[in-house]
Amino acid sequence: MSRNTLVFGFGLAVALVAGWVAFPRLLYVQKQQPLEFRHKTHAEKSGVANCNECHAVREDGSFAGIPAMEKCAGCHSERIGESKAEATLVNNFIKPGHETPWLVYARQPANVWFSHAIHVKRAGMACTECHSTYGESDQLHTYQVNRISGYSRDIWGHSMSRLRRAPHEGMKMSDCEDCHRRHNVEVGCLGCHE
Amino acid sequence: MKVTRRDLLVWSAGAAAGLLVTPVPWKLLDDTSIWSQNWPWIPQPARGPVEVKLSACTLCPNGCGMKVKMAAGWPVGVAGVRSHPVSKGALCPLGFGAHQLNWHPQRLRVARHGASPSTWNEARTAFVKACSEGPVVVIDGYPGRAASSLLQTFAQKHGGSYRAVLGSETRALASYETWSGVSASALGYDLENAQTIVSFGAPLLDGWGTPGRFTRLWAECAAGKTDPQLRLIQVESPLSRTAARAWQWVPVRAGTEAAVAAGVARVLLEERLVSARGPMPPLTLSEAAAQAGLPTDAIRELARTVVARTPTVAIANDDNPAIAALNVVLGSVGARAGIVRRSKRAEPYVSADAAIPNARTVLIDASVPWGFTPQTDAEVFRFAAWDGGSNRPDWLLPAPGFLEELTDVPTAPTSAVETYAVAPSLVKAQHEVQSAAQFLGSTDPTLSTAEKIIHSRCEDLFHGRAGTLLGQEETPLAKLASAQKLEEQLWKGAVWVGEEPHPASLRCELKEWPTAVPSAHAESWSTAWPAPVLPPLATKLYRESTLREAPEKRTA
Repeated sequence: MSRNTLVFGFGLAVALVAGWVAFPRLLYVQKQQPLEFRHKTHAEKSGVANCNECHAVREDGSFAGIPAMEKCAGCHSERIGESKAEATLVNNFIKPGHETPWLVYARQPANVWFSHAIHVKRAGMACTECHSTYGESDQLHTYQVNRISGYSRDIWGHSMSRLRRAPHEGMKMSDCEDCHRRHNVEVGCLGCHE
Repeated sequence: MKVTRRDLLVWSAGAAAGLLVTPVPWKLLDDTSIWSQNWPWIPQPARGPVEVKLSACTLCPNGCGMKVKMAAGWPVGVAGVRSHPVSKGALCPLGFGAHQLNWHPQRLRVARHGASPSTWNEARTAFVKACSEGPVVVIDGYPGRAASSLLQTFAQKHGGSYRAVLGSETRALASYETWSGVSASALGYDLENAQTIVSFGAPLLDGWGTPGRFTRLWAECAAGKTDPQLRLIQVESPLSRTAARAWQWVPVRAGTEAAVAAGVARVLLEERLVSARGPMPPLTLSEAAAQAGLPTDAIRELARTVVARTPTVAIANDDNPAIAALNVVLGSVGARAGIVRRSKRAEPYVSADAAIPNARTVLIDASVPWGFTPQTDAEVFRFAAWDGGSNRPDWLLPAPGFLEELTDVPTAPTSAVETYAVAPSLVKAQHEVQSAAQFLGSTDPTLSTAEKIIHSRCEDLFHGRAGTLLGQEETPLAKLASAQKLEEQLWKGAVWVGEEPHPASLRCELKEWPTAVPSAHAESWSTAWPAPVLPPLATKLYRESTLREAPEKRTA
């Protein structure tokens, strides 16, 4: 093998390692959610059986997203457990009346409009089709923020190559388009961008 | 081992080749494009709970139903309401971007006296002084609202006069008002039941009346069909978008629509093609044809086509007595599918002329289009949310912008049925703004308020027990428990719809063919349309779609 081939291969290998291993680590920074939250505990102990008991679609068709503090205060107005998260929730947020500053995995740019009501009520999609079994998880997964765009890694998806990802992975416009193409549903530009 | 310059170059080539098969270039490109959307100087809507509120557009008297998407209490998007009885889910490009208008660079933020900034107190003092020195003329561009009622009351109380700047659709009904004594503001077109519509230059498919009404009707009954259920015949000089999409385009010389109407009426009467009686036009067929630049056979053929599929109604672009007389000949006045009387309550308005003599003060409401330039020596107090540029008044006073003020929404000018809605104030103005009605209320505390008038109108509607309330569901008014319930629903975006009109309640007697020339108001709708300001979204829609072509491109 010639010297040139070796040097070329070395450069290639360094770039591949840098691109596939170092770059994602540099690009994304991990952030802690303000509270530990366990979907599984809420489902099992509090008898919350359906996602829409907390993540409801309002009467006007808009999606409530993460429940407001008053919803949490319905049960947690006083401490009902001994965990550190419970103390933080009650002392730092519920009693002073502050909303919990959750880091939202699905936060999109302001020019994107996604209607849960249309997808759930009109298209009849189950929550798990996009959110997998997240509602049964025992802890929130790590929030990774993109240093350049400022959005969550969940938008791009955890696979940097975006190949062979699960249907619930990724929230890019191409993901919306792929799903709409599969279901033969056409939406014009103004359907999502206002 | 010595590292040579060649090694570095080869290594770099290898690294560059390797980078191409990593996510680095593609991901960086994607991320930087998103990053560029979020530069600090790019305005972003506040983050917060997103909700949708139903309301009505208040930018023009058509009052289209609107769904306003609010994020953290600020409107960030607007869409039509499909169930709205008149607009049927459609909005014009201006309406689609209405939420952006409040941040428009031409938004008025401070009171101005001449070229200098002033204060509300100075404006109020000057207005009170001017009113005490002589008659006041109050001009309104959107009559029928609760605020209009306040303007009218103020003018009456102070010995002045109240005048309205009416749109071309309402002006086109003026002849029927003259002949029947019924106010033009109580008349409408029953287009939904018509089989043939003869439009004399009215841009039916391009912004006439309530934007969604005729376009949806056309899409359902006629678009793309060679022999449609609804025939639209466009008599117009240029090949406008309406003419291009109509079932038939009759190109005539500009300004000869009255002659064509007279020619058609003569053929209808001479050949006994209509059962209704009407006066014979003085113009002979050959004279009409010569004026219009058409062969006589073309007018004869047009007359036969007009009555081939009835009922037929003729629509003028502005006040044109000859076209109104053609409707009388066709028997379309006070008839199903023609000109109908939708309301018994409406009162006639005195139309505002540009020349306003013998006035000490002129107060112009923000609803009056900027194109209206008063010719007067009086002191002019003009309210406006956006600076229209020309014709600088003595006082320019900032008015509430889009959804910054509670207002009610009376029936759209061309609607065949009466409607009533309320557009609550959804947004808090960022600057000190006042509507003309609020300003007058501050100078005369005995005046009522828009809120109280809306309240009493709701009570009147409730006690009338007629019509239906269209909200989340359709509820006959007779089944509503209280006036308060009605008002609550209206505040939440419901629309009250009156009963179907009784055509026989409108009668027009016409003894001779009108010789009056068409109104001096008549103007090209294409040049009259541009608003003083356009939101970015409307500009984008305008540019990127064929919703409206530039006027210079629309000549035949």
